[in-house]
Amino acid sequence: MVGDPIVEVTGLRKRFGDVEAVRGIDFRVEVGETYGLLGPNGAGKTTTISIVAGLLRRDAGEVKVAGMPMDIDTAAPRALIGLVPQELAVYPDLTGRENLRFFGKLYGLSGASLRRRVEEVLEVIGLRDRADDRVDEYSGGMKRRLNIGIGLLHEPKLLILDEPTVGVDPQSRNAILESVEALSASGRGVLYTTHYMEEAERLCDRVGIIDEGRLVAEGTRRELIRLVGERDRVRLQGSGNLSGAADALGRLDGVGDVVAADRSLEVVTVDAARLLPELLAVATEAGMAVTQVEVSQPDLESVFLHLTGKALRD
Amino acid sequence: MTKAFTIAAVGVLRLFRDRSNIFFVFVLPLALVFLIGSVFGGGFTPTIGVSAPDGELAREVVSRLEETDGIGVRSYTARDELVRAVERGDVQAGVILPVDFDEALEGDGTVAVEFLARPDAAGPQLRTAVAAAIAEESALVRAARFGERRGLTEAFDVARRLQGEVSGVEVVTRAVGEALFPSSLGRFDLGASQQLVLFMFLTGLAGASALIETRQLGVIRRMMSTPTGVGTILLGEVLGRYGVVLVQGVYIVAFSLFAFGVDWGDPLGAVAILVVFGAVSTAFAVLMGATFRNAQQAGGLGVILGLGVAALGGSMVPLEIFSPTMRRVAHLTPHAWAYDAFAELVRRDGSLSDILGELGVLAAYALVAGTLAVWRLRVVTTWE
Ligand SMILES: Nc1ncnc2c1ncn2[C@@H]1O[C@H](COP(=O)(O)OP(=O)(O)O)[C@@H](O)[C@H]1O
Ligand SMILES: [Mg+2]
Repeated sequence: MVGDPIVEVTGLRKRFGDVEAVRGIDFRVEVGETYGLLGPNGAGKTTTISIVAGLLRRDAGEVKVAGMPMDIDTAAPRALIGLVPQELAVYPDLTGRENLRFFGKLYGLSGASLRRRVEEVLEVIGLRDRADDRVDEYSGGMKRRLNIGIGLLHEPKLLILDEPTVGVDPQSRNAILESVEALSASGRGVLYTTHYMEEAERLCDRVGIIDEGRLVAEGTRRELIRLVGERDRVRLQGSGNLSGAADALGRLDGVGDVVAADRSLEVVTVDAARLLPELLAVATEAGMAVTQVEVSQPDLESVFLHLTGKALRD
Repeated sequence: MTKAFTIAAVGVLRLFRDRSNIFFVFVLPLALVFLIGSVFGGGFTPTIGVSAPDGELAREVVSRLEETDGIGVRSYTARDELVRAVERGDVQAGVILPVDFDEALEGDGTVAVEFLARPDAAGPQLRTAVAAAIAEESALVRAARFGERRGLTEAFDVARRLQGEVSGVEVVTRAVGEALFPSSLGRFDLGASQQLVLFMFLTGLAGASALIETRQLGVIRRMMSTPTGVGTILLGEVLGRYGVVLVQGVYIVAFSLFAFGVDWGDPLGAVAILVVFGAVSTAFAVLMGATFRNAQQAGGLGVILGLGVAALGGSMVPLEIFSPTMRRVAHLTPHAWAYDAFAELVRRDGSLSDILGELGVLAAYALVAGTLAVWRLRVVTTWE
């Protein structure tokens, strides 16, 4: 059904002995949406998605996958999920193709469709040439790509990726991010955890910021940034009537403070991308010759800092 | 169920990927069967002690024995001395020709030749050799006697006919000493069943570290994220271990049967032991694999345990040599029961129905260890 969430999590709690890993988490992932769980190590990301994938018993709360309740012993919703665990979960002494065939069978594929999907996935993860080499001869990035590929075999409605780029060289990392972008473009729901702010910004339609087992904020990147009152900053450099330009800019809707400095103005605004043409026009009209424009937008890092008082990574 | 076999098949496939496994599973056991068979079973000539009177025909018999291939002959003057030598095992058999051997053979009377043998040695073969030597001799004598009356050509015909069935000479066998192994036991037979049991158990326990590794690789967890039930996954893992053990067992039996002619007794019985003992090994392996966290530790412990239990259970030194107390202790191990079962099949020509008791004990081992193992495995795979 259109508009039905592929995942719906409410009131999720999980405790390991004295550690309260998850303390009341709610979120939903819409069909075709890429949802990011952004938070530092130990925030409870892996615990949360393990419960969502039906691998871990929860203490409280509810998880629904495509409307079906998900539990540790329910099988049906699992066919809809492709889980890519944080740690590599492949047989190192088998070849890439053998690994894919094995998990493909467990996902219920067989015969011609299994063969076809294995080839397609090998293509997607760029391992066609090395498909018949043992995995322990692969580079770190290749292993990661295989790890992801296994989760794609049965064309799941929901792909869950748990920090897929950790410990990967920049080139492989980029390849991974590109394939995730392609996957979400193909209408799949993606639940993506990371502690890299840039990845959440680049990939995710919506982000849940998670810390110490709680979702401290949630929304699109812009919503989150607005939530904490952070503003974009536009620095206009140039000459001419700087003070006149500052006055004119200050009167515009959506512009906050305007600070004039020697040969430059700093404009605080809610949405630099939208207002930039107007800012330039107004400043020019007021007699300023703008020679250089610098836009700085606050990132999720600063949102996280603002919300939790600490950095995403130390 | 298909998925369980898929999982099991990967377990077996992974075994073959490791060259050192191939050595330990397939090469080493047979090498040991062959080696032990050669050292303890072969390259050894049985000696017959002979006590013979000083007659011409008696001397002929002795020299015929000496000419027989594969037999050594040692002379004893006193009968008692020869009996003691057989008892001590200095010689494998003894032949006592009566003092009136020559006269009795030349006359029409019956002559009794006493044959002493340790029942364990190649007794019957030696007995046949002795009987043949005496038969030849006496046949010639009788033929010659006959020939004196009928002429030479006819005499030779008769001699040839008589070589098999000589009347007048009776070889009386007496068992001396305690029987250890029946004479029909081939040189490789004893070692083979011991090695089989030892290695099936050892390979089983090695499966424990493979299982731990699979757990640590996160592969089991990942399997659980697929639409595959926990029961199916566990069954697959268990079947995988079992498959490896069975493949090895069948291979050792088949190869040793065809290459070394090892006697495994009643095929049905042998298969039953393989199946049940394989299950015991698997159960212990899974129990270990679900209990330990460190694959190396489990591997090392598996080897020590596998060899220790095997030694205790008669897979290195025959159980018959154990003291009665040690034999009781030995029967705490599954190995001893498998040993007994094979002994029944191979040495006493038993069939499946004769080893049901041993099979039952082994099945009980498999059931108890297996139940514990699956319970443990379920706990660790769903809570980790
Ligand atoms: N199996 C477990 N046993 C005990 N504590 C655990 C277990 N798994 C996770 N934790 C704890 O729960 C918290 C959240 O962990 P996790 O969900 O792995 O965080 P993240 O994936 O965000 O790094 C951490 O404090 C971690 O130590
Ligand atoms: Mg994690």
